Parts: sequence; C-alpha cells; structure tokens
Amino acid sequence: MSARVVVTGTGAICAAGKSPGEIWGAVCTGRPAIRPIQQWDTSGWPTSLAGQIAGLDPRALVDDRKLHRLLQRSDLLGLYAAARALDDSGFVAYRKALEATAAATVNDRTGVYVGMGGGSYQNEYEFFPLLTTANGDLRAFGRELTATVNPMWLLRSMPNNVLCYVGIRHGLKGPNACLTNHSVSGSLAIAEAAAALRAGEADRALAVGHDAPIEPQMVLYYHQLGLLSADGLWPFDARRSGSVLGEGAAALLLETEKAAAERDATVFGEFLGSGCSSEAEGLLPIRADGDGLAGAIATALGDAGMRPAEVGLIVAHGSGTQASDASEALAIRRVFGDAGPPVTAFKWAFGHPLAASGILDSVLALVALRHRVVPGVATLREPDPHVGSLPVSALPQAPRSDVALILNRGFGGSNTALVFRAAAGDAP
Amino acid sequence: MTKTPRRVAITGLGLVTPLGNDVPATWKALLAGRSGVAPITHFEADGFPVHIAAEAKGFDPRHVIEDRKLLRLADRSQAMGLVAAQEALRDAGIRPEAADATRWACVVGSGKAGLGFGELVEVHRHCAPDGTFHPERLLTDGFAMDPLAFQRSQTCAGLAILLHRFGIRGYATSVHTACASGSQAVGTAMKLIRRGAADHVLAGGFDSMIHPIGLASFCLLGALSPDNEAPERASRPFDATRNGFVLGEGAGLLVLEEWSAARRRGARIYAELAGDGNSLSSYRITDPNPSGDGPIQAMRQALTTAGARPEDVDYLNAHGTSTLMNDRSECAAVRAVFGAHAGQIGVSSTKSLMGHLIAGAGAVEAVVCALAIHHEVLPVNANLTTPDPECDLDFVRGKPRARRIRVALSNSFGFGGSNSCLALRNPEEVDG
Repeated sequence: MSARVVVTGTGAICAAGKSPGEIWGAVCTGRPAIRPIQQWDTSGWPTSLAGQIAGLDPRALVDDRKLHRLLQRSDLLGLYAAARALDDSGFVAYRKALEATAAATVNDRTGVYVGMGGGSYQNEYEFFPLLTTANGDLRAFGRELTATVNPMWLLRSMPNNVLCYVGIRHGLKGPNACLTNHSVSGSLAIAEAAAALRAGEADRALAVGHDAPIEPQMVLYYHQLGLLSADGLWPFDARRSGSVLGEGAAALLLETEKAAAERDATVFGEFLGSGCSSEAEGLLPIRADGDGLAGAIATALGDAGMRPAEVGLIVAHGSGTQASDASEALAIRRVFGDAGPPVTAFKWAFGHPLAASGILDSVLALVALRHRVVPGVATLREPDPHVGSLPVSALPQAPRSDVALILNRGFGGSNTALVFRAAAGDAP
Repeated sequence: MTKTPRRVAITGLGLVTPLGNDVPATWKALLAGRSGVAPITHFEADGFPVHIAAEAKGFDPRHVIEDRKLLRLADRSQAMGLVAAQEALRDAGIRPEAADATRWACVVGSGKAGLGFGELVEVHRHCAPDGTFHPERLLTDGFAMDPLAFQRSQTCAGLAILLHRFGIRGYATSVHTACASGSQAVGTAMKLIRRGAADHVLAGGFDSMIHPIGLASFCLLGALSPDNEAPERASRPFDATRNGFVLGEGAGLLVLEEWSAARRRGARIYAELAGDGNSLSSYRITDPNPSGDGPIQAMRQALTTAGARPEDVDYLNAHGTSTLMNDRSECAAVRAVFGAHAGQIGVSSTKSLMGHLIAGAGAVEAVVCALAIHHEVLPVNANLTTPDPECDLDFVRGKPRARRIRVALSNSFGFGGSNSCLALRNPEEVDG
C-alpha cells in the first residue's frame, strides 16, 4: 500500500498577484491582468499583449542580492514561490525545533522537483558585444572571450538553477528532478514528487514550476507560429484568436500523510493521481480528436481509483488557441459525456505562464475547492458552438464534489492530468 | 497481499560517441584504449584558451535516417539522439506498435537549449551590429523568425522528434540536471516501469556543446583541461596531475522493458536496471563538498532501491571528470559508502577516453555499464599514471580487466549539486 500524499503549503506569483490568495481574488473579480508589454517598445509589433508581473523588484523576490546577478528572471520567480510554499507549510519552523541529527535526516528525506520551460534567448545576447569585437573572426572571438563575457555566464543560464538554489538556500538534499517539457513541466514535477513519496524515497517534496518567456524573440516566434492573439486570451470563446504569454511561478509542498501528521501540519488537500501522454506527431501539431488528452485523463483517474462521475470540477488548459481549445473540449466530452462537472480555466486572467501552469493551476484549484466555487471564465461572451456543450460559464459555478481535475498541454503533443481532493473541513 | 515489485530489463543499447558512431565501434575503441580527444575541427577554435575536445567523428545522421524532413528539425545533438535511439530499438528487436504505443514512454536528458551559433551570429548581424540589441530590428530579421530555428531551440525538441519518429504515445518528458541529466533520465524511466506507468521506455541522453558558445562557456569557468598540446592525455581522471575535463559530445539511448515481459518474448537482457539514487549536495553551485556529502546519499539510495549490499558491487563507472575537486570528493564518497569493500571494486572513468558528454554522459555511461556486465570486462581508466594519494581506489589501469560483475554502479554529478547514481545488476543474479 503506497503512502497517501497531502499538500501542506502553497506559493504562487504571476501577473494577477504575488500570493495564491491575491491571485484568487483577481480571478474572482473577473478582470484580466493582461496588458501591453512594457519591457520594450512594441509599436509596430504584430502583437503586444502579455501577462507581465508589474513592478517586479528582485529584492522583494529573493533577499540575497548576490543571486540577482547569478540568476535569470524566471529563476528568481521560482525561488520566490518555493520559499513562500515552505513558509506557508510551517516546515521551516518545524525543522528549526529539531536537534541537528534529526534535522539532517529531514533534509535528506525532503526532495525537490522543478518544472521549467527552457532557456531565454536574451541570455545568449550577452555574447553580442564580443561578436561585434570579433567582427566575424572566430580566432578573435576566442582570444577576446575572457576579457569580454561574464565568467559566470554558463552558471546563470543553467536550466536547473532553481533546483540547485532551492537546495542550497533551504538545505534540502533529497531525491530531485528538473523536468524540461514546455507547458507540462510543472504538472510533471508534481507527478514525480508524488511518485517519490508514494515509493518511500522521501517523506516530503517541494514541487516548483517557473517560466518567464516574455522577451522579443520569443514573442515573435510564437506569433509566427500563429499561437498568439493580438486582442486577448479568450478560452472556449467563438471569438478566440490565440494565446497570450504570461510569466510566473508556483510551488506546492507535498508530504506523506504520516510526515504531515508527525508535525501537525495543516493539510490543504490530497494528491490522488496523475496521467501523462503524448501524441507523437511532432513538436507543434495537436491532434484534432483530443485523443492524447483523453488518454491522460483516463490514466489519472485510474491512478486515483476514481470514476469520472466523482470529479467535482475541471481546470482546463484553455490556452485560447483554436486547435487546443477545440480538441480539449472533445477530450473532456469523450471522458465525461454530456454530464461533465463544471469546467473553468485560469489563463485568461494572467496569460499562459508555460512551465509554471500546472502548479499554478493546481494551487488555484485547491483554493477553489476550499471555497466551493468554480470561478467563471470572465472573458467568455460567445461560447464556441463547436465546444458549446462544455459546462463552462462566465459566471461562478458550484463544484460537484471535493475533487478537482487539472489539465495541461504542451509542445510535442504532451498532455497531463492531475487529480486533487480538498481537505475535509468547513469553507472559510 | 504484497505485490511482486516490477523489475526493469535493459534490452537495447544505442550509442553515438567520440569513439564511434554506434555501440560496436565505441566498445571496440574503449577496450582498445583509443582516445577520442583531438584538436577541434567543428569550427576554428585556435583562438580559444582551450581548443581540444572529444568530437564524434564522421557523424552524419543521413547515413542512418532517411527522413530528411525530420532531420531538418534536429540540431546536432538531437540528430545524435535520433541515431542512437534507432540503434537501441533495433538492438532490442521491439518497437512501439499501435496496440501498445500508450504503454511506451520516453525520458531523455537533453542539453541546454538555445539558438545555434550560426543563428545567433545572424541575429547579431541584423539586430545588434554595434553590440547593443535593438528589438525592433527583429521584425525584419528572417533568421530571428525562422520557425525551424525556434523548434530546434526548444528544450523538448529532441524528445518531440523521438516521439514522432517512433510513435511513442505514453508518458514523455525531457529532463535537465546539467552533467547528471542522462542518468537522471534513465533513473526516471526505471521508476515509470516500476510504478506501472509504462511497460517500455526509450531512455537516455544527448548533448553537443562543442560549438563556439559551449566551448566559450566552459573556458570562462576555467573548467577545461588546457593541455592543447597533448589532447589524448588531457582527460586523466584520478591522476595527481589532472587539470580539468575535456568537452565531448554524443548520445546514449537504452530500451527498458518490464522484466517478465522481456523474458516472455525471449529478449536478450544485458542487465537489470536495478536501482536509482539521486540527491542534492546543497553546498555550492560549482564545487562539490570535499566530504562527498550528496554523492554519498545518491549511492546509498541506489543500493537501497536495488536491494543490493555494498559488497555486491564489483564495478563503478565513476563520474571522474578529471577536475581536481570532483575526483577527490567522489573518492571520499566511495570510501564513505563502501568502507573496507571500496578496495574490492574495480573503478574507471570512461571520460578518460571519450571526454565529458555533459547531458549525454550519464546515459552513455549506463550503456557502458550494461556492456561491461554483458561482456564481463571492465573498461580502462586511461591516463592514470601518477597516483593521487587522495584518490586511492582500485582503478582499472593500463588495460581492461576481465571480471564477472554482479552489480555495477554509474555515478553522475551535475553542476549545482544534482547527483545521480544508477545500479545495474547481472541478469544471472536475478533469475539464474
């Protein structure tokens, strides 16, 4: 019998707020935090919208100023969310009260699982001054290298920086992984963290997802591929015209039921299952029939030992592209038929934060279950007739049970589904 | 009722390495002790402080993969992954079919993604000729908007190519923990089969940082051996005169199968993939803890999950990068884990011949361990001529050593302190 896995701490940051509560509040008011891009002058650009975190002060994210030069924006977001989740859980105070040997064992038995999206192009631009100096001569490029480029360049651009610095800053030393699979990276971090707890490899594990894709070259590529809207992110709407990039990070502390009980931790919810599938059609295509996503949902429900009828609400991927939303609606209908639970999605509120999505969506789903409210997709005006029978609404709905299903999709035809149950207790 | 735990069989191997473009060529060169390190030929590297590396020689994916369209989507490292994957699946004699494609998974360690150097040069020429980036110029820069360049720059691009090519429809992800990526991928894959999330996994890693930015990034850190004049001797793990690692490139892929299914179909089983341990050193971003803390937990966890005792281990494929601190810390960790038995374990770092394949290293070295078990021979730790009193293990020196292996371990430790250790068991030890 594998261990039960519970959630005891959450942290999140995105354009809509700097804590799960603040983001939840913004979602419930129905006003998207999607704005014109401020980081560079976008006049003349085919698209200029993003879900950026306004007024981001690195010192407010990570107090150690040395790290600001050693890390990228996405990493700082990840470290911030990780620290908030650990604080929220009371883990730090618990460990502080232990004697040294016991604390060392706790550290060895606490894992870290990070989902991140990939590198930034801007990071490579740090070679531009050197390329100008070298003027096309590779010998000169090699010769002038050490005089021109920051010696720590590689360390700053490592994809696993959040994993390493969460370890260094919080002393965690257990099993770990850094998943780099576009927009399902965060959900896979949860799946792997939970698997480590079920298998007894760790007693606790922090799952972190982070991404910060809003930069000129990335925005242009996404636009070129027809993935971005110039007007807004309107999931499941007949008017939808694409996604909008967001940025952010979120983290969950997972513990075995026993480890949480040992320290009398407050339990927010229980992880019940996960599923992952791929569509095997290349990096960009999405199957029109939703087959891959339907498979991931079935796997996750099987892992949770649950029938579709027991699911109380669905947090859809709802990225706002024609192909993804249409096939997602088909997949949901394939599993749930005409009598599915209420469906919502959150990206309309803060953009698509790619690798951060799965954990951010999970954090918000747990809040939704606690409040017993399925927030509306506030941007919904004209439900797409092709997805019309999906139980999605601009107005709040009531969940059918205390179980949430969270869906995420990414490049490579990757699909994930996660199942959580709210902790027993009264609504706040 | 206790369920019998699911075991994992390694039934297919594929390699592209600086020693050869497939498994037989690599293994032959490894046993012959032939170094893959030489002056860099991929680009004009003479001006760099270090201009030697272990390049894959004469690698041309078109010799193996006829699908030209697919190859246009792949950069060099992804093409290496594709070629090695094809070899591994052929070697296993099994591949995903429509009926079982969703029970096939794929987990790969892939390198730090980004623009190719040629593309970066074009973006510079158009958008930053004066060294300062002008974002508005991107709007008229064809290179900056080439969807193929974008696809190749994605961290999951290599994964997507493998899924597409072989029709894998189950769990899929790429992972990255720097130099431990490859073994982390293989360990993650093992756990998928154990927990029932998949019955077959194509797992491994690939990387190529032998390009101007990759070479520059390691030169800047001062991590590479500067022995430009003696390339074949430059990588000398555990030697007292070691002075840095040598950059390599390549791919290692393995086909993993649930044990009883592999036995039922009469598959050749190279080894049981028996255990996986990973830990964080949580010490410093570049330096290992001299005490071996971090690697110690990874090795112990690998033994525990393998159900093996320290005295069952006959071979260790060391991380052995040939840097001063890494090799010393690894030896301290081995002594801490194995105590008196440490002297009974044959140890070699095959990076002494093939250099450091970064995100591919752990996977390639797992393949080497499987071959060592299968052929009952321990490959050599080349270039170890001046013993270091701080590295006093039983290294395989001079020539390969004939030895039947019960359990082999493969260590991989990444920048930032991600440590992975894989345990492989002789199939005869499983079911005779």
